Amino acid sequence: MTGAFLTRLRNFILTALAQVLIFSRIHLFGYATAYIYIIFILKLPRHASRNEIMLWAFAMGLLVDIFGSTPGIHSAAATLLAFLRPYILESFLQKGTPDDFTPSAAAIGWSKYLVYSSVSLLILCTTILLIELFTVNHPLILLVGVGSSTLLSMLFIVATEFFNRK
Amino acid sequence: MQTILNFLVKHNHWFLLLLLEGISFMLIIHFNNYQRAAFFTATNKAVGDIYSVISDVDSYFGLRARNNELKEHNTKLLSQITELRATLAELSSHEALIGDTIARSLGSGYTFHTANVVSNPLNSVNNFIVLDKGSKDGIEQEMGVFGSKGVVGVVYLTSESYSLVLPLLNGKSNTSCRILGDEGASVPMLQWDGGDTRHSYLVDLPRYTKFETGDTVVTSGHSEIFPAGITVGTIDGVESTADGMFYRARVKLSTNFASLTSVFIVGNKGHKELKELMNKIPE
Repeated sequence: MTGAFLTRLRNFILTALAQVLIFSRIHLFGYATAYIYIIFILKLPRHASRNEIMLWAFAMGLLVDIFGSTPGIHSAAATLLAFLRPYILESFLQKGTPDDFTPSAAAIGWSKYLVYSSVSLLILCTTILLIELFTVNHPLILLVGVGSSTLLSMLFIVATEFFNRK
Repeated sequence: MQTILNFLVKHNHWFLLLLLEGISFMLIIHFNNYQRAAFFTATNKAVGDIYSVISDVDSYFGLRARNNELKEHNTKLLSQITELRATLAELSSHEALIGDTIARSLGSGYTFHTANVVSNPLNSVNNFIVLDKGSKDGIEQEMGVFGSKGVVGVVYLTSESYSLVLPLLNGKSNTSCRILGDEGASVPMLQWDGGDTRHSYLVDLPRYTKFETGDTVVTSGHSEIFPAGITVGTIDGVESTADGMFYRARVKLSTNFASLTSVFIVGNKGHKELKELMNKIPE
């Protein structure tokens, strides 16, 4: 139990550091940013309770916010995604899938995992941009921003799956 | 009663959602309205220190380019000094003018500081830059920030040893500018609409303004944040607004925000006084 918690805490810190120190500084073409911290939320085990997922996601969002000087934006978006995650994940599972597993391409199949992560990414990116755009009105930026950030983040999610394949 | 309790327990995740989202939106609103959210930004001491280490490492990359930039800047300053010396020598012959000139050049009362960029994410619509100087170094809110190539932004928030800058690349940024050579002397506002980090827009440019692409855009000095005449960028495109009443000019910013490492902060001693005076105007 403690071992599992420590592993998760380590993943949490590593993911957060990678996000704020490397990926948050990449802004391809001025629009696309990779939100790789979503991987941590995507990969919490299936049996984790809703509250547990939300608290981890909120903490992750808050860290990204503090480092990026965007108080509240990422924590709000990550919490919303965490709340929806069980519904999204369950809708892709067939009967007879084991009770507990860590969502991955190997566990639920490539196509399902890709859809699962892109739906989650769309929710996250749309929420982030909608909150940001409260002050600036521009539907085109919303579309381009959500689209490009989702694509770029997907790239890293797929790469992570390849590395974890073993 | 039992049913209600069961219901509440069964759906407790809804309450957690509301609580966490509530906290998040409180942070968003506080940060937008007031400067109280300092703890939750990169001006926070611990966060700033981590960034300082990273930017120390970062600063070794591109030293050569940085060096050249400084050399250029130095040369420009040297030539300015020579020019000013010449003017001074010329004016010294007119005794009566000296006092007037000195009052004009010193009385404007600008103070200058230098600072290093600690963090500079440019990935959102509301970007903020973190600098490694804070209130203990004499940095205050609403001081102007510029780099060796041109305007960077305005100080938005300060903590003891770090400050947060609202750069031109922020949806809330609003800088009063002037086009060099425009005799009509219109003072359009420079605003950014997100996305492209190399360009910004001059909005509400009156139709009688005379300018062409390639013209230089400088600060107007009207806001008392920046001295007049600091380069902002060059015009590289013009379009009419939807109602046809104004022009909207695309400005290529002279500051390259992606490679910004050190900046100057300029404070106007008269700014506070002026603001207090303005506040005395009955609503």
